[in-house]
Amino acid sequence: MGLFGKAARKSPWIYRINAGSCNGCDVELMTTACIPRYDIERLGCQYCGSPRHADIVLVTGPITVGVKEKLLRVYAQVPDPKVVVAVGICPISGGVFRESYAIAGPLDAFVPVDVNIPGCPPRPQAIIEGLALAIEIWAARVDALA
Amino acid sequence: MSDIILRVLLAALVFPGGLFVIVLGLGLKGLERRIVARLQRRIGPPLLQPFYDLAKLMRKDGFVPELAQPGVFLLAPLIGVASMSVAMAMLPIAGVYTPAPVFGDLIVLFYLISLPALALMLAGSASSSPFGAIGFSREMALMLAYEAPILLVIAAVALHVGRGTGAVASFDLAGIVDYQRVHGPFLLEWRLVPALLAYLAFMPANLGIPPFDIPEAETELAEGPLLEYSGASLGLFKLGAAIKTLVIAALGIVLFCPNGPTGALGLLLFVVKCIVVIAGLALFRVTMGRMRIDQAVLFYLKWPVLLGGLALAAVTLRI
Repeated sequence: MGLFGKAARKSPWIYRINAGSCNGCDVELMTTACIPRYDIERLGCQYCGSPRHADIVLVTGPITVGVKEKLLRVYAQVPDPKVVVAVGICPISGGVFRESYAIAGPLDAFVPVDVNIPGCPPRPQAIIEGLALAIEIWAARVDALA
Repeated sequence: MSDIILRVLLAALVFPGGLFVIVLGLGLKGLERRIVARLQRRIGPPLLQPFYDLAKLMRKDGFVPELAQPGVFLLAPLIGVASMSVAMAMLPIAGVYTPAPVFGDLIVLFYLISLPALALMLAGSASSSPFGAIGFSREMALMLAYEAPILLVIAAVALHVGRGTGAVASFDLAGIVDYQRVHGPFLLEWRLVPALLAYLAFMPANLGIPPFDIPEAETELAEGPLLEYSGASLGLFKLGAAIKTLVIAALGIVLFCPNGPTGALGLLLFVVKCIVVIAGLALFRVTMGRMRIDQAVLFYLKWPVLLGGLALAAVTLRI
């Protein structure tokens, strides 16, 4: 593993996209990162306000018809290399909204998804485990650049 | 002649500018993040976190927005890093380093430390983003407000040193340090206590620390001027901000408490003083909310200007 891979493993910046979520998963995400108990800043993670700063994209919600174009636009603004994580059952399969006329999902029909974290909502521990998997994938991608 | 050029280049690129300031600046930034985390009862990131962040950003893709001015957009982050490296080379460290006279005096330094704010304004206006434009206008309003008190502080210190040495005013940085080594630090000089308070008030606005992180306001402007930056140019901006924190802390140390032993021990004491200043700023970061821009401008035009004016009056009238 090269120098940049090692640095990248310790500095994954995360960005949230809410694609029509009920906010349950978003609350769990904020819980994971923002309270001292699960402090993920010790892994070097940092929430960023801009997709251009992001390394790992967390998507919640079932991709409603209205939000699909916006999701793709924001996704294109994340610089390479990047990793996509689907948080909650909604972006994976549609969850309770499956087969609704208002849903364009699932997420992997439009965007390559690297990690799925099922649950409605997933537990903070599950989110951290998924994030750890995503960090490994991301570090490998940075190494592949060199 | 070539001897002087070599000395200046060495000072600007290796010690204390350039390499030294980058390593120490990023190290102090890591320490600050750690202190902030501990104050919030978190474990916090590793001490080397800013180095990891910088190395990672250097490998990432860089975008230039379609509507942006590419030249200005890519040049702006370089201005911040370069000006701060030179500024650090101008600051004497008592007993360790005395800058060559060709670097200039306190007035040149004053212009240099306002350059990163100008770079941020350029970045905000060149990036074509509405958030960047709002950040630009706020940075400009804030800059107009905090530059008045810092000028009064600089004038008060220069007049005080000038009175002591027989001149009208001494803007020579090495002279200011020498004067304090003979007569004791200005920290203990009662006439300059208001100036010290005004300098302390100036620091958070210049460095974008709460309650004056208004131009970059993460929650409302999503980092304003930095919003459109990615990859290496974002890394340079983060590096510039880390160095700037060190330079502003070092200027405070030079103006008010530069005393220390010679050699390695003196350098160590300098670093310890920087850590004390950074820890104080970290306390601000965790305990303060954010002011509105109109409140901040009014605050700066009232209290720090009053304090700076008091110091200037006390020094001039020799009461």
